[in-house]
Amino acid sequence: MKLKIGIYWGAACGGCDVAILDTHEKLLEIADKADIYLWPLATDFKYSDVRAMKDGSLDAVLFSGGVRNSENEEIAKLLREKAKVMIALGACAQGGGVPGLANMYTREEIMRRAYIESESTDNKEGVVPLERSTAGPGYDLELPRLYNTVKTLSQVVDVDYTIPGCPPASLQIYSALGLVWDDMLPKKGAVIGAGDRALCEECPRKKSEKTITHIYRTHEKLPDAETCFLEQGFICLGVATRAGCGSRCIKSWTPCRGCYGPLDDVADQGIKMLGALASVIEPKEEAAINAVLDSVVDPLRTFHRFSLASSILRRRKE
Amino acid sequence: MKRIAIDPITRLEGHGKIMIFLNDEGSVDNAFLQIPELRGFEKFVEGLPVEEIPRVVTRICGV
Repeated sequence: MKLKIGIYWGAACGGCDVAILDTHEKLLEIADKADIYLWPLATDFKYSDVRAMKDGSLDAVLFSGGVRNSENEEIAKLLREKAKVMIALGACAQGGGVPGLANMYTREEIMRRAYIESESTDNKEGVVPLERSTAGPGYDLELPRLYNTVKTLSQVVDVDYTIPGCPPASLQIYSALGLVWDDMLPKKGAVIGAGDRALCEECPRKKSEKTITHIYRTHEKLPDAETCFLEQGFICLGVATRAGCGSRCIKSWTPCRGCYGPLDDVADQGIKMLGALASVIEPKEEAAINAVLDSVVDPLRTFHRFSLASSILRRRKE
Repeated sequence: MKRIAIDPITRLEGHGKIMIFLNDEGSVDNAFLQIPELRGFEKFVEGLPVEEIPRVVTRICGV
């Protein structure tokens, strides 16, 4: 019997959806195995269609994007009711992703910058979107509430599996879907469509003992073609990041920023990386160690680029 | 006044809904396009090291 699946996005960019499309001819195989009952990027189903479904009627839902507003949360909960298997797709659903960096600010700071202060905005009256507004008698309009804190999918609903990545590698999505229709899904809670070791294990660059005396930004020094970025003083999150991406950034001469998320049993990817970095700094006196660490220009957005919303920091203290 | 919601708008990148208001004769009286989404890139790229900008703003739209 053909499976029924739904694909949805919360606070996302559509990159996960395009990664599904980028399975190319394998998309025909996906369409052969499963009927799609919701996929805003590619098909025309409405929320009312989903509400009309019986609970548990979807075999699997792939949910990309973080939970940024009341609509994201409402649809996440609705899809959880309809789905036998709920899969967090991509870095935003897993850890908040890049949009999770909004947790460095308050809701009001973000609204003010986006709708009033930005250089390309002409809004002298300071009009901002409201949850309830009226455009004249009888024209009452509603918008979702923008949350102060970006949440991950698992912070609002029970998540069965996670496919990491920003975006997840297309063939990894395909192989993870294969686990659904072949009834081969592992233990609940597992990360699927990715490796179980650190990215360093699959990275083609040469590694030896790491001793770091200075942190370089990528414009300050040309890296050599063969040596581990971290050994050359460039911050690379490979040691704290799950393998499975195919070393995409590394092969483009760009150090890892951690989009495949933490390994199993790591509570906080950014803190894990900070610990790894601290252990390979060569000076051992406190002042000299601090001098090396001070050369990291933007630690929060470097170590928690994709995982701030799921980290133990989670958001700026209020 | 009767309301018709097209929610969500589909086959595009991003989130949107259309609210249509009908008058007593059943004709369209007014219609509104609403964008129920904001992530806040305008704010959280402030102060980001310039060499990191390309890998962050590419996440505005992945389509």
